[in-house]
Amino acid sequence: MSTQLLKVSGISKSFPGVQALQDVQFELNRGEVLTLVGENGAGKSSLMKILSGIYAKDAGSIVFEGTEVDIDSPKTAQELGISIIHQEMNLMPHLSVAQNIYIGREPRTAGFVNERRLNRQTTELLKRLGITLNPRQTVGELTVAKQQMVEIAKALSFDAKVLIMDEPTSALTDSETETLFALIAALKQNGTGIIYISHRMEELRRIADRVTVLRDGRYIGSLDKGEIDIPTVIEMMVGRHIEEGARPEAREHADDDVVLKVEGLGTRYLLRDINFELRRGEILGFAGLMGAGRTEVARAIIGADPSEGGTIHVQGKKVRIGQPADAVAHGIGYLSEDRKQLGLLLERDVNTNILLASLKDYTGPLGFMRTGKGKQKSKGYVESLRIKTPSINSVTKNLSGGNQQKVVIAKWLARDCDILIFDEPTRGIDVGAKEEIYRLLNELVAQGKSIIMISSELPEVLRLSHRIVVMAGGRITGILDNEDASQAKIMDYATNVADEKE
Amino acid sequence: MKTGKKVAVLAAAAAVALSLAGCSNGGGGGAAEESGSGDGDITIALVSKGFQHQFWQAVKQGAEQRAEELGVTVTFDGPAAETEIDGQLQMLQAAIDKKPDAIGFAALDPEACIPLYESAESAGIPIVEFDAGCSSEYGQSIAKTDSMGAGALAADHMAELIGGKGEVAIVGHSQINSTGVERRDGFIEQMEAEYPDIEIVDTQYGDGDHLKSADIAKTMIQAHPDLKGIYGTNEGSAIGVVNAVGELGLEPGELTVVGFDSGKAQIDAITNGIMAGAITQNPIGIGEEVVQAAYDIINGETPEEVIDTGYYWFDKDNMDDEEIAAVLYE
Amino acid sequence: MNATPVTEQSTRPGVTPPEKQGTALSFLRAKLQQSLAFGTLIVLVIFFSIASNNFFSWSNISSILLATAVIGILALGTTFVIITGGIDLSIGTGMTLAAVMTGIFLVNMELPLIVGVLGGLATGALMGLINGLNIAVLKLPPFIATLAMMMIAQGLALVISGVRPIYFSGVEGFKTIALGTLIPGLPNAVLILFLLAIVAYLLLSKTIFGRYTFAIGSNEEATRLSGVNTRKWLITVYTVAGLFTGFAGVVIAARLDSAQPQIGVGYELQAIAAVIIGGTSLLGGRGSIMGTVIGALIMSVLINGLRIMSIQTEWQNVVVGVVILIAVFTDTLRQRRSIT
Repeated sequence: MSTQLLKVSGISKSFPGVQALQDVQFELNRGEVLTLVGENGAGKSSLMKILSGIYAKDAGSIVFEGTEVDIDSPKTAQELGISIIHQEMNLMPHLSVAQNIYIGREPRTAGFVNERRLNRQTTELLKRLGITLNPRQTVGELTVAKQQMVEIAKALSFDAKVLIMDEPTSALTDSETETLFALIAALKQNGTGIIYISHRMEELRRIADRVTVLRDGRYIGSLDKGEIDIPTVIEMMVGRHIEEGARPEAREHADDDVVLKVEGLGTRYLLRDINFELRRGEILGFAGLMGAGRTEVARAIIGADPSEGGTIHVQGKKVRIGQPADAVAHGIGYLSEDRKQLGLLLERDVNTNILLASLKDYTGPLGFMRTGKGKQKSKGYVESLRIKTPSINSVTKNLSGGNQQKVVIAKWLARDCDILIFDEPTRGIDVGAKEEIYRLLNELVAQGKSIIMISSELPEVLRLSHRIVVMAGGRITGILDNEDASQAKIMDYATNVADEKE
Repeated sequence: MKTGKKVAVLAAAAAVALSLAGCSNGGGGGAAEESGSGDGDITIALVSKGFQHQFWQAVKQGAEQRAEELGVTVTFDGPAAETEIDGQLQMLQAAIDKKPDAIGFAALDPEACIPLYESAESAGIPIVEFDAGCSSEYGQSIAKTDSMGAGALAADHMAELIGGKGEVAIVGHSQINSTGVERRDGFIEQMEAEYPDIEIVDTQYGDGDHLKSADIAKTMIQAHPDLKGIYGTNEGSAIGVVNAVGELGLEPGELTVVGFDSGKAQIDAITNGIMAGAITQNPIGIGEEVVQAAYDIINGETPEEVIDTGYYWFDKDNMDDEEIAAVLYE
Repeated sequence: MNATPVTEQSTRPGVTPPEKQGTALSFLRAKLQQSLAFGTLIVLVIFFSIASNNFFSWSNISSILLATAVIGILALGTTFVIITGGIDLSIGTGMTLAAVMTGIFLVNMELPLIVGVLGGLATGALMGLINGLNIAVLKLPPFIATLAMMMIAQGLALVISGVRPIYFSGVEGFKTIALGTLIPGLPNAVLILFLLAIVAYLLLSKTIFGRYTFAIGSNEEATRLSGVNTRKWLITVYTVAGLFTGFAGVVIAARLDSAQPQIGVGYELQAIAAVIIGGTSLLGGRGSIMGTVIGALIMSVLINGLRIMSIQTEWQNVVVGVVILIAVFTDTLRQRRSIT
């Protein structure tokens, strides 16, 4: 039938040392949302990059609207009508919304860019898509979510027949996600085929017409709308069964030592009167809406941002933390949500990254590094944390997200940190690896470490935290024991002051 | 003891040199420039302060002329800018490593060169100096212009031209290296000593850059409406002043310009009256004398410790005199 | 047990920049650096006018403008390069080589004036083209590629000229390129600077070339993925910078009525300083021609004023250095504010 838009078969692609894709296939019909799932490293991104002309395939065929095509550059893909919204931000932050959307296709009059027409065109496009943005605004000043909308608008401006979205909602709020879904529905009406990559199972259930699963660069199978069942999908992705809805064992914590005590902490613009205690062997979850101030609490504690007022006690002693180095000296390690930017030297090897915070321990009196001793230590962590890497000399960039996260954890363990603050520890990590991280966190507290875990995923908070701190508008609105907590209850506290604030 | 060692070294060097000279004569006395196989030739390595300025080109010319007459080979090297003290030292080091029969050196910095003089001494390579010396005692002769005297001569002529009173200013080319400092100080001291009615109202430095010097001269003329004359301490500085006069459209003679060194632009400026006159050194003579001094040492003779190669005032009237014309270069 | 609302609502706490509303504010902030620079210029002029009676006169202003011409033209070209996040160190000695080649064409080869001038411009553009190829095709870092070109141009200028200045005294009308006065009282070199500034402004603000210059500096990979041939445009950027270098070479040769092969080193840093003072970011993505012109004027007003006050040459350098520090500091301050 002529409803078939894209048929991809036998695709293989290898990089030096890695077989990224092997004999992968899928089909996409007009007016259909195909959801592509798989763990990180399963080959989804490579496949999409082949479709959008960034990579060249080694073997296989791409049949677009009935004819075999050769997509050799991003431009060819655009001309065919295949647009992609990349997972990473691919915008020019210094240019305006309109300039970003129509980059490479500026309307011109007598050699000069016709700025007025460009802005009018953009206004029309945004109106058609139901996105409220000012075409003249500089993109760098927009929130991440709005930047995402710019990316979507840009991709849609090509009148794409095939639209690829790589985790488009990872930075969107609820209402923005709704807007996006409404858009997707409208696009389906027009016959656009959409390839939607996501980690979020709820989304998959909501919008997918079909699911195709990849694992380790291979095609595992497809499910049609009627057959989509989340546990099945996850099993296909990871190749084993995953338990859901688990809770930590209740523990009697009242007698444990308080390792970190924060009193009256505030910052100039957001935080007010933050008080809480962290006990030995405890995972303390931090929940709240976007902008509630959870990350800010972590940054204020470790001295990354200046705090105003408040005291911090570590192991019962009052300490002054003016900069992150002081925090580390007191055994507090912070694992940023943004691993790639702030947590890792991506271009360096695993060994360097693990030892980075504790280099002093592996340095002789003359400043020479004792490489042997350090490597031994790194190897130890690679084994104990089950970091999947060819060797400790491999470049960190090439590891999957989950394994990169483990490298960051190893870094702080090597530094003898007893208090670890995890900010979104599983962001961008696929389902299987999440389980690994969860297991690791539990092992760490069992060894006597104490953990603060900031997470936007409520099931994750409920699953791991012994106690849960809920924040709203820069204040703590509630601290719950796990036994007493539920998603509804957390939401209650999280929206407590949101009304008066916004 | 030190002297004894020196003599011994000299004697050894001379002996070697003589035997080498003999060889080269036996080879038929071909031109020294063509030192293809090289063995048998006397080589003198000259490390200058620069080579881009016309002045250094004239020194090089003089050195090559004398080398040809003497049947020796000279190499001529120098940093790209007169601020590259470090680069010059590396060139001196390279010259020492090549073990020439003698080295001729013009120091950009009188102190930094001392350690290298010591290593030349232990390698048994004699050093003669030109233009500016090193504070080491190992340098055995220097061929140079008496810059203080030259500056004073410039002052005398400036004073005479402006009638012994009024404001003058200096566009210098360096506040660091010895020629820049001495040409300036010779001028200032002479003014203070002999011409109490002349006031030096400003001294600024343009690094010998024509453009910068022109902009400096223009601001000076702007800042001091009664300015009678400007003295430029080298070719670039002086030409800068000449350009400033041209750009401001001043009549020839409205401002008395005294320059230093020659070169086509200065000669033209003097011919058409924008510049009153200039001090010229004898760069060709410097080049000749330094090679001669080196040659003498190699041959066991002792050259004079300071060889004054002379300086002259030249203006429209005496420019074509034979004596003057010989030391001018375009 | 279905949707988890918190999950989707709370995203990226902390790093999300608070959104700035409306264009007026963003426009103001974009102009801040420029107006700061402009304000600085005005303050300097007022200060020096009070400090010295001889500062504020037409003939001194004309001198300041003329002193701005060469550095200003170099700065215009290099603004494009710096906006792409690159750097061009070859403009100083490149200017000298262009001047020398102009001399070769006009004096040694006795070509007609217009041909010789075009030859000088072409020399500059050719060097820029080579820089562009090295950077965009061979992927050399701009710092290295242009540092090498700086040395090559310096060496070639000396070799080709035979380490001797080339005098244009026999070339009818050459000197008027810089010092003639089509507009009475205003040297042509200044006129050329302003005309080129207008051309550069149009190029940067109104053409796709300018648009891609900003885009590359803002996010080169994103620009490439948008289907823009970034390689081609990067080559064009360096070629344009080279062309401006050629203009500077012709102007300096005309002003000195000679090609001086030994000058040029250090001019590139002054030009870069003018660009930075004018608010163009060394990190790329941001900058303006107006800012560069003001930056170049600040430099020459400052130096002229200090000279008029007979401040020692050594201290002039210190003051200019401090001004650069302040300019860059206000810039980072502004950047920091726009993040938090």
